[in-house]
Amino acid sequence: MSRPFVTDLRKQRWLNARLIAVGSVLAVAWVAIGFRLVVVQAMESEKYAELGLDQRLYRETLAADRGTIFDRDGQELAVTIDSVTIYANPREIADPETVAHLLAPLIGREPAQVQELLATDASFVYVARQMEREDAEAVEAARLPGIYFLSEPKRVYPVGSLTAHVIGFVRPDDNVGIEGIEYQYDAALAGAPGELLVERDPQGRTIPQGEYSVVPAEPGSDLVLTIKTEVQYVARQALEAALERTGARAGSVVVLDPRTGEILAMVNLPTYDPNDRQNVDADVVRNRAVTDVFEPGSTQKLVTVAAALESGVVGPWTTLEIPDRIEIEDTVFEDFTEHPDVLTVTEIVAQSSNLGTILLGEMLGARQLHAYMSAFGQGQATGIDFPGEADGVLRPADEWCVTTCVAGTSIGYHVSVTALQQAMAYAVIANDGVWVQPHLVAEIVDGTGTRQAVEPERRVVVSAETARSMRSMLEAVVASGTGSLAAVEGYSVGGKTGTTEKYLTDAQEYSENDVVASFIGLAPIDDPRIVVAVVLDAPQEDASGGRGAAPVFSEVALATLHQLGVPPDAE
Amino acid sequence: MTARPGYVGGAEPPALRVVIGRRVGRVPRLRGWLLLTLTVVAAFFLLIYSRVTLDHSAFVLEDVEQRLEAAETRYWELRLEAAELQSPDRITQLARDIGLVYPSEVRTVEVSGIAIPGGDVEDRWVDLKALLSAQP
Repeated sequence: MSRPFVTDLRKQRWLNARLIAVGSVLAVAWVAIGFRLVVVQAMESEKYAELGLDQRLYRETLAADRGTIFDRDGQELAVTIDSVTIYANPREIADPETVAHLLAPLIGREPAQVQELLATDASFVYVARQMEREDAEAVEAARLPGIYFLSEPKRVYPVGSLTAHVIGFVRPDDNVGIEGIEYQYDAALAGAPGELLVERDPQGRTIPQGEYSVVPAEPGSDLVLTIKTEVQYVARQALEAALERTGARAGSVVVLDPRTGEILAMVNLPTYDPNDRQNVDADVVRNRAVTDVFEPGSTQKLVTVAAALESGVVGPWTTLEIPDRIEIEDTVFEDFTEHPDVLTVTEIVAQSSNLGTILLGEMLGARQLHAYMSAFGQGQATGIDFPGEADGVLRPADEWCVTTCVAGTSIGYHVSVTALQQAMAYAVIANDGVWVQPHLVAEIVDGTGTRQAVEPERRVVVSAETARSMRSMLEAVVASGTGSLAAVEGYSVGGKTGTTEKYLTDAQEYSENDVVASFIGLAPIDDPRIVVAVVLDAPQEDASGGRGAAPVFSEVALATLHQLGVPPDAE
Repeated sequence: MTARPGYVGGAEPPALRVVIGRRVGRVPRLRGWLLLTLTVVAAFFLLIYSRVTLDHSAFVLEDVEQRLEAAETRYWELRLEAAELQSPDRITQLARDIGLVYPSEVRTVEVSGIAIPGGDVEDRWVDLKALLSAQP
């Protein structure tokens, strides 16, 4: 009778043992869970709270609005608008071929090109950058799988090629200025980006009452240029006509106010459209008026004669006996116009006499001539607020050869200048002997509306008397000399022609066929308001400053004087 | 052995009886609970309502911000359009299309105080265009 009792007892013990084992396991499990709970909730709570928050927090860099660039009258020359960029996640696209065929016509690309993009293994590829909003809406309506949209700022230039060489452009990827004023003033235009911190749910919706903080972006400053769009347009039209008429390879026109150093127009041809730079040759992008140098030829006579007058070597009416030719070693200098044997200094300028000018240069000597050339700004950058300005070439007087250097330099050889540098030399004469640093930006207007005006550097180069004498001589050049085609109806104007054989840098010799034709003038002669420099590179017809470039000056000067409201001063 | 209490003499144990308590004492306690419950429920609904109102305001604000952004985008698009319309290239082409030509004779009219720079007149007003555009 006792057996069952023993069996029950054993079963009971076994049961108890199992219960104890399970209970122990459960207890250990609970202890582990409890321990983990303490670790997660108490010891590492901050870390996990942060991890959780990071999954919900969305940080967005708020791009600063890039400043607008205006002309002097408030016409927008560069603005930033919102555009739509389309990108794809190829891993989400099961049938790249179909998607490519549907997408390609909407974005103006070849289906094969798009398909190639979509067939990659990447998770992000750009399909179309900076599209117009209306165009992107069509793509959005197509609801293609794996195709997404981004909002991106886009820089647009409303007047297109008209101011391309001045304004430059930005890099499309990040709107950083890489050319022209956009590059020079990038720091001011760019502003400072802000940051948005917001809590979002898994669907990307903002969680109300969630984390939210915003550091607003600091907008970039606006720039007010000295450029006058109407003058820029007239200069472009006149230069375009001149290139067509003469067959010149390229050309530049600079219009400036000699009293303030403000550039009213700066045009180069050929040009490009900054809104569509695909397939644009890098050579076309250069602002030749600032970066390219040439030997000034006869336009340099202004500097030589002004130096002679200022140093007291001669007066405007001093007479000089002009030889038939001047031979220095193997080099022969001659005049190309017929004139009397005796010329006054004024007549030397009017007749553009090489020999008369060489005589004046020899009277000055290398050191004095070099000093005046430097004072006029030759051989050094003007410091205009534009990137990549060339210094020009003016060797130190010590390095000048003892044979032809003074003679050659007097008439514009052995020295190289930019169109702007040479225009500035004439601006000195127009502004009663005072050189005022040229500049393209008149004002910088920051986000608060505070205007910061640009104060240009000034220096006296020659006396007002010398400048007035020189202006009379320049007037004679147009009235009765080589620059007659530069005359402007209703206004008294003066200027100087220049025609030089083109120096071929690669071949290290002068071209037999190509010349650089130039005319630089000022108006009205008594109180000049403008200086206009015209340079034509390799004209084939009318290949001289007097016939090729002077008519461009006439057209540009007349329109500019009208635009500025300068009353006529001549019959 | 442990002694056990017992009824001696076969006496019957006293019968249990129901004692009816006084009801008046329990009513105030129920009211208190009821009031507390109502207060908690009201507070709960008030809290929910305020959250919903705040959330609604947040959605409205977000909507306003989006509309503001859209309006700003439109503003810049219109400014760009205006600038493109003012382009000399476009105006010249339009002028040509309607047969306008440059005048053969230019007549200059000098307006006292406007055309003469310096003096009481600021340089920028010399430009008639600037003068006209500055007027309301």
